[in-house]
Amino acid sequence: MSLWATLNRTVFKRTSTFALAVASGTFFFERTFDVASQAIFEHINKGKLWKDIKHKYE
Amino acid sequence: MTSVVRAGHLAPYFKASAPVVSNGLKLVAAVPTPVDKLVASPLPITSTVQSLHGALPVQGLKPKCSTRAPFQVRFAHSDIAVPDFSAYRRKETQDPRTKAEENVDQRQSFTYLIAGVGSMAGAYAAKSVVTQFVSSMSAAADVLALAKIEINLAEIPEGKSVTFKWRGKPLFIRHRTADEIATEKAVPIETLRDPQSDEQRTQDPKWLVIIGVCTHLGCVPVANAGDFGGYYCPCHGSHYDASGRIRKGPAPLNLEVPPHVFNEGLLIVG
Repeated sequence: MSLWATLNRTVFKRTSTFALAVASGTFFFERTFDVASQAIFEHINKGKLWKDIKHKYE
Repeated sequence: MTSVVRAGHLAPYFKASAPVVSNGLKLVAAVPTPVDKLVASPLPITSTVQSLHGALPVQGLKPKCSTRAPFQVRFAHSDIAVPDFSAYRRKETQDPRTKAEENVDQRQSFTYLIAGVGSMAGAYAAKSVVTQFVSSMSAAADVLALAKIEINLAEIPEGKSVTFKWRGKPLFIRHRTADEIATEKAVPIETLRDPQSDEQRTQDPKWLVIIGVCTHLGCVPVANAGDFGGYYCPCHGSHYDASGRIRKGPAPLNLEVPPHVFNEGLLIVG
């Protein structure tokens, strides 16, 4: 409850802080999203990627 | 009155009350039929506008003629309980008597949080789209690699101009002698048609790298010819000096210097 209150009073109430929070949060969101989607892709394609078959050719 | 009577869906009611107006003796009023004849659904548990409307005694309304009939139709204005909106209320405002500022944080912050996270995702998506479109404008790495040419400078003797093909155009590499360098450096820039100093056109004064396309109409100039010891265009007689600058004839500009770098005896153009 107090977490919501602090968040609302300090960040959400003013448009300036809200926009700033969105802009800075986008960096972390981007990193998280990219890493997560990459991990999912590599999990699905395990064994087919170059890094998995590299040792056969070098 | 008759004109009003014709007004659409109200006509039955007006017809029923018309005798009242005409003779003033017969009392006519619309009364709800007794409850047992009413087709009304029982009061629902969740009281909404829609559900309560079904319980109103308006459906079974019939005009009735009697001297003792009551004058008024009593619709349920006062005996229906205030609808229960608790199904629609947030947890914080279940008690409608609480003050707004006491629960404003709980009410607003989750909505704002959703809006904020949504904006973040939107910003990320917009950035990705823009990046993709902008990067599609630049050439691919394999195309860029093919667009370069490496030249071993040790194979070009001093005083000689060699022609290569680079991106479909002739490329002149001239290993200049000390005499030529001194001559070109001494040329006063003010006298030139396209004023460029020799330092602007060469990275290493010993090597001149230019594209061999005449700036007049695109012929390929002849090396070591012309009045100024540089290049001469046989098509319309443009004379270029040993720095590739236009000195005489119809061409308006100096020969173009492509981007190039020197790297340990290798010249990389492109």
